[in-house]
Amino acid sequence: MAGCAAKTVYEIFQSMEYGPTAAPSAATAQAWLEHHSRSLGLFIDGAFVSPAGRRSCPLTDPKGSVVCSIVCSEDEDVSRCSSSAVSGYKSWSSLTCSQRSRVLLRLVSVLGLHGQCVSELCDLCGAACSPTALVRLLQFYSSWAQLRDALLCDWTPVGVVVVVTSDDSSLYSLMLKVLPALAMGNSVIAVPGRSAAPPALLLAQLLAAGGLPAGALNVLTGSDVTLGAKVAQDPNASFVTYSGNQQDGAALCKATAGMGLPVSVSLCIGPVCPFIIFESADMDSAVDEVVQAAFKKRKEVHWVLCVQESVSESVTARLKLRIAGLKCVSLRSDADRVLVDAAVEEAQQQGATLVQSCPPPPGSQYPPTLLCGAAPSSPFVVSPPPGPLLPVVTFRSNAEAVVMGNHSPHGHAASIWTEDLTLALETAHSLSVGSVWVNSSSVVDPCLPVSGHKDSGTCTDGGQEGLYQFLRPSGSTPLPRSAPGLMDYTRFGTEPSQAFIPESSEPGSSPQSYLQFVGGKACKSVSGCTMAVRAPGGSAVLALCPDGGRKDVRDAVEAAVKVQPGWKKKSPSARAQSLYSLAKGLEAKRLELAASLVSQTGVSLDEAGQEVDLSITRLSVWAAYCDKMQGGSLPMPQSGTALAIPEALGVVGIILPDKRPLLSMVTLLGAAIATGNAVIMVPSQKHPLPALAFIQVLQSSDLPAGVVNIITGSPDQLTVALANHSVIKAIWYWGSAQGRQYLQHTCASPVKSLRLFHQDQEGNDGGPDWTRSQPSLLQDLWRNAVQWKSVWIPSA
Amino acid sequence: GDGRNVDRPVNREPDLDWISRVRVNHQAVLKRAQYIQSLKVSKKQWQAAWLLKAVTCIDLTTLAGDDTPSNVHRLCLKAIQPVRLDLLKNMDMHDKGITTAAVCVYPSRVADAVRSLKAAHSDLPVASVATGFPAGQTPLETRLQEVRLAVRDGAAEIDVVINRTLALSGQWEAMYRELHQFREACGDAHMKTILATGELGTFTNIYKASIVSMMAGSDFIKTSTGKEPVNATYPVAIVMARAIRDYYLSTGYKVLDPIILTCKIIIPVCVCVCVCVGVS
Repeated sequence: MAGCAAKTVYEIFQSMEYGPTAAPSAATAQAWLEHHSRSLGLFIDGAFVSPAGRRSCPLTDPKGSVVCSIVCSEDEDVSRCSSSAVSGYKSWSSLTCSQRSRVLLRLVSVLGLHGQCVSELCDLCGAACSPTALVRLLQFYSSWAQLRDALLCDWTPVGVVVVVTSDDSSLYSLMLKVLPALAMGNSVIAVPGRSAAPPALLLAQLLAAGGLPAGALNVLTGSDVTLGAKVAQDPNASFVTYSGNQQDGAALCKATAGMGLPVSVSLCIGPVCPFIIFESADMDSAVDEVVQAAFKKRKEVHWVLCVQESVSESVTARLKLRIAGLKCVSLRSDADRVLVDAAVEEAQQQGATLVQSCPPPPGSQYPPTLLCGAAPSSPFVVSPPPGPLLPVVTFRSNAEAVVMGNHSPHGHAASIWTEDLTLALETAHSLSVGSVWVNSSSVVDPCLPVSGHKDSGTCTDGGQEGLYQFLRPSGSTPLPRSAPGLMDYTRFGTEPSQAFIPESSEPGSSPQSYLQFVGGKACKSVSGCTMAVRAPGGSAVLALCPDGGRKDVRDAVEAAVKVQPGWKKKSPSARAQSLYSLAKGLEAKRLELAASLVSQTGVSLDEAGQEVDLSITRLSVWAAYCDKMQGGSLPMPQSGTALAIPEALGVVGIILPDKRPLLSMVTLLGAAIATGNAVIMVPSQKHPLPALAFIQVLQSSDLPAGVVNIITGSPDQLTVALANHSVIKAIWYWGSAQGRQYLQHTCASPVKSLRLFHQDQEGNDGGPDWTRSQPSLLQDLWRNAVQWKSVWIPSA
Repeated sequence: GDGRNVDRPVNREPDLDWISRVRVNHQAVLKRAQYIQSLKVSKKQWQAAWLLKAVTCIDLTTLAGDDTPSNVHRLCLKAIQPVRLDLLKNMDMHDKGITTAAVCVYPSRVADAVRSLKAAHSDLPVASVATGFPAGQTPLETRLQEVRLAVRDGAAEIDVVINRTLALSGQWEAMYRELHQFREACGDAHMKTILATGELGTFTNIYKASIVSMMAGSDFIKTSTGKEPVNATYPVAIVMARAIRDYYLSTGYKVLDPIILTCKIIIPVCVCVCVCVGVS
C-alpha cells in the first residue's frame, strides 16, 4: 500500500482501483481501556478487582500491537469468585421473574448509550459482535426470564453455571450461553477466551450498573482453558458449558472428568461445513455468498463448496471472475502461512487446480484461493488449514450431495442453494447438522435451537430447547460433587469377571440360564461365558446370564445402526403403535415379569405387580408422547420461515440402574425409542433378571430387530466397550464415581453426550424417582434423547 | 462509454433455453444489496476519481414537454463542461476530456442538439429516446419509423424501451424479434435498451429481459426511463450486472450498464457493477 497517497486522480480514474479503507475509529474503546490503564482486572462481586502479584497476559490486535493486558486468575481468585457466585445466586434467584427480566431489558437501553464502545472493543480484540446482535440476545432472553415460571414450571435453575469459551470464540457465543443461564435464574461465572475477555468484562460492568445483583455474573480471565477446569473444580459450581474449538473442548472435558459435574460442549469453531449449490440454484447469489463467507478474515467455520456437476463450469467461471478482484487476506500468524503452503502444495500434488487472484506474496498475506477438483477425502478438505482456501468438489445427484454434505465428522451447519423447495427441505432433513441455511449462510439468532450433531457438540443452544441445560426438574438431585481420583484409564473395566464355577449340587436343581438380546435374536455371549445372578441378600445362585463383552457390543451396534435410520424415519404414530403393542405384550407377560421381580429383588408379589403395572402405563405414556415431541416454526426477526426439528441422536447406550429394574428400564427404553433412537442396554449387574425376562416381550413385539438390544455382563467392561465405540452418540449411566470419571475422560473426543447418575454399592442412586410420572422428569429424559436442527428459509 | 469501438456481437437466434433456466432468488439479491450498501466508500482522490468516472458515464438528459432549442443548447454546453473548471484544475483533470457520455433528447430535438454541439466544436454523441418512449405502447411500425428518423437527424445513440407487454407475458422470443428490428433500424448508431425495471414485476423478469436485450444486439442496457414510479435501485443494478456478467461469460462480449441515479449513491453502484462485471 506504500505510495498510495501519491496516486493522482487521473491514475485512479484510469485504473478504477479501490482506495484504502479508513481504519474504523476506536476512540471510545481506547478511552475505556485507558481508564483501566490498559490492564483489565477481574470482575468479581459486581466490581473490578485487580489482585496483586498476578501474572498478566498481553492481548494483541491482528497487527501485533498490544491492546491491553488481562490478569491470569489464580486459585485464590477462583474461590473468591465462587463464593461471590453463591451469594449472587441467592440474591438473583430470589428475585421474581419480572425483576430478572427487567434487569436484562435495562441493559438494552444501556447498550443504546454504550453500544459504540462495546462494538469498538470487540473489533479491537477480534471478537466481533454487533450491538444489534447483543440487543436481540438480551430482548429474547429477557422475555424468557419473564416467562420462566409460566412456561417452564416444575423446573429449577441448576445454580452456579460456569461458561467457558476458547480464545477464538466471539463475544456472541459467550453471551449465547451467559444470558440464558442468567435468564433462568442461575448465577454465572464466565471464563471467556482471550479475545472475548475485554468486551465480556465491559458487559459485566454494564449489567451490574443496570441492576444485576453483585455476584450474579462474575468474569474470570486467564491464559488458557485450564482456568475453566480450575473453576469447575470449585465445589460450588453446578454445571459447566463450553463453546469454542474442538481441541480446548476436549481438554476441558478431560480435565473436568470425575469432578461430579455435568459438562456440555458446543464445538462451533473450526468445523468443516458443506456449501451445496444445486443446478436449480440462483447461481450468482450463491457465488457471491460463498465468496463472502469463505474468504472473510475471521471465519469460524471451514466451508467446502459442493457443486452439481451440470453447473460446475459456470459456477467456477463466476468464481474466477469474482476472485480476480479480491484482495489478499491476512493470516493470523506466520505459522498459519506454513500450514497454508503445505496444504496447497499437497492439494496440487493430488491434482487439484488452483485459482488465485495473484501469486501468494511472501509473509502473512494470502490471496483467496480455490482448490478445484478436490475430493471429500482429501486431507485439505478433512482438516483444512486456517486461511482463505475454498476446496471445490462436484456431485452428480441430489443423493450424492447429501452423502458429500454428511462426509465430514462435524455436524455444525450447512448452506444449501436451490430454488426448488421440495429439494431444499429433503436435503435439509437428510443432512446431519445443527443449522441448515437455505439460500443463505451464517444466519444466527437466539430463537433458533441448534445442537452440534455428530462430533460438533453435546448441547443445544438457542430457542426454548437451549434453556433446559440451565434447568433441572424440581425435586431431582444433582450429581454429588467429587474429587477426581487418580485412575489408570487403560485399566478400567479390564478386570476379568468372576467366572461361574459349577458347584456340585443335586442334579435337576441347576439354575436356569438366560440369553441376552442382540439384533432381534436371543443369544449367548460371543465368548460363550456366563455369569451367576445371585438372589437378594444371599449368595445362592439364582440364574445364569451371558457375560457379554466388547464383541457383543460391536454386534449390537452393527444391528442398531442398520435399523435405526428406518426406525427414525417411521412416522411418529407408527412408533407410537409399536410402543402400545410393547405395553400390551408386557401386560400379557405380567405374571412372569412380576415373578422375576420377586425372585430378583425380594419384593412382595404385590409390590412387584405394581411395578409391572407402572411399567405398562409408562410405555403407554411414551407411546402417547411420540407425536408430541415436536418442533415447529420459529419467530425470526427477518422475514422467512424457520423450522425447529427434533431428531434422534442415533444409537444410545444405557447402563441401567439397580433400583426398580423393570420400571427404570422401560422408562429409559421408552424415552430413547419413542424419539427414534436405537438402544443398547446393559441391565444392572445386581438385578438383571427382569430385563432378561423382558426379552420375550420384545421378541413378540413388532419393534424392528435391532432397535432394542440387551447385553448382560460386567458393567465396567461394557461401559468401556460403549465408550469406545465411535457410533454411539450418547451414554446414560448409573454407576460408580470411577465409571463416571472414565466416561467423562474417554468421551471427550469425539464427544458423546453423557447423562451420569450416581449409584453406590448398595444400589442407592441419585436418579429420578421412577414411580412418579412428573412431566418435567419425562421431558428431561426425552429432551436428552434428541438433538435439534434448525432450518432457515429466508424470503423477501 | 468505452463500448463505442467494440465489434458488435453477432446477432443470433435467441437462446430460449438459457432464458428458461434463469433463476433469481429475491431475498438473496436484497441481502447482497444491503451488504454492498454497507461497504465503506473510499475517500479523497479515490472518491473524486470514481465520481468523475461516473460523470463520464452520464447521458445528460432533458425529456420534457417544454423542451425548446434554447434549453437543449444550454444542456449541450453543460454536457461539454459538466464539472467546474477550477475544480477540475485542482485535481489536474482539466485537460483529460471530462465530459458526459452523451446528450439525450426526444427525437424532435435531435437536430437542435446536433446543431448546438457542432457549433461548440464538440464531438459528443447525441442520443435520442425512441420507440414510443416512455411507455412503448405504440404500433411497431411507428416505433421503427421513430428510430429511423432519429438516426437520420444525426442521433448516434438510440435509447429504445422494451415492450413490457411481451416481457410480462413471457413472450421472450417476440421481444427478441422486436429488439432485433430496432437494432437493424439503428444502423451504425448504438442501441441502448431501457428495461423499465420498475414495471417488470420480478427480478427474474429483469434478468431475462437483460439477457434477451443483449442477445438482440444492445450495446447498453439501462434500468429505467425515469418516468416509472420506481427507478434504479441497488438490487436491480445487481441483477442487471449479473446478467451482463453471465452474458460476458457465455459470449465474451461486454455490454455496458448505465443507471439513472443521483450523485450520493452513485459510488456504491459503481462498486457493485465493478464487483460483478469487473472493470472494462
